Amino acid sequence: MPKTAKKGEVFSIRVMVQHDMESGFRHNELGVRVPRDIIRSFVCTYNGNEVFKADLHSGVGSNPLFIFYAKADQSGTFEFKWQGDNNYLTTVNQAITVS
Amino acid sequence: MRYGVVLAISSLLTLPIPVTKRACVLIDNPKTMNQRRQLIVSLTALSLCPWESASAMPSEAMQAMQAIVGKSPVNTGRVYFELPPLVESGNLVAVKFSVDSPMTPTNYVRAIHVISEANPSPNVVSCYFTPLSGKAEASTRIRLADSQRVWALAQMSDGSFWRTSVDTVITLSACTDTV
Repeated sequence: MPKTAKKGEVFSIRVMVQHDMESGFRHNELGVRVPRDIIRSFVCTYNGNEVFKADLHSGVGSNPLFIFYAKADQSGTFEFKWQGDNNYLTTVNQAITVS
Repeated sequence: MRYGVVLAISSLLTLPIPVTKRACVLIDNPKTMNQRRQLIVSLTALSLCPWESASAMPSEAMQAMQAIVGKSPVNTGRVYFELPPLVESGNLVAVKFSVDSPMTPTNYVRAIHVISEANPSPNVVSCYFTPLSGKAEASTRIRLADSQRVWALAQMSDGSFWRTSVDTVITLSACTDTV
């Protein structure tokens, strides 16, 4: 995402996280199902306000990538949070200056 | 799922399976056909039959959409859904969906749901937007298990629903290989 933006400008944000996203529908050689282990939700907030949220299911590919848009009216921090099975939680912050 | 197996196998016996599709599956699966592979062949043949595609979509996808929509009517259109018509590997299919909307607090897109007809689980991804999003557009990469129709269902702030679909052909299915 850009580090600076003009007030009211809509800019795109690309986020990707490394995660196998085990769908829970695959089997190993013995025919036993490999249990599901996926990221369930991704939330992007800006100064505490939600900008974009996604519910992920087994159908989302490995290393989930999202490209979405946001509009900033004042300088602040974007927070990206991924939550998933087996207590998976990752948070990343990115500041932006709005002129 | 059991209903789908019975329907698929009965149609397999009664309808002539296109030879090209059968050949395609043999090339993809050089090992001996086990029961799981036969199920995939029959489901593929079922999805390619022209008379079948004209009728209602598979029940699981319909139920998933019904759970989201409830009693409201669903309109067709307004959603721009980009999905390649021919995909080499179903493991990572880039998709983009958007709705042209002013995204003001009184008129914005609440969510866009991607629903698949032939994946083991119909819900693929749901993206929720807010007026702070600026644009109701998102791109991501999804898995597609087989050649199928994929739906994008948009929920607007005024409570209306719009949907569109794209038919796609998958050469190599996702999630069917052993670990």
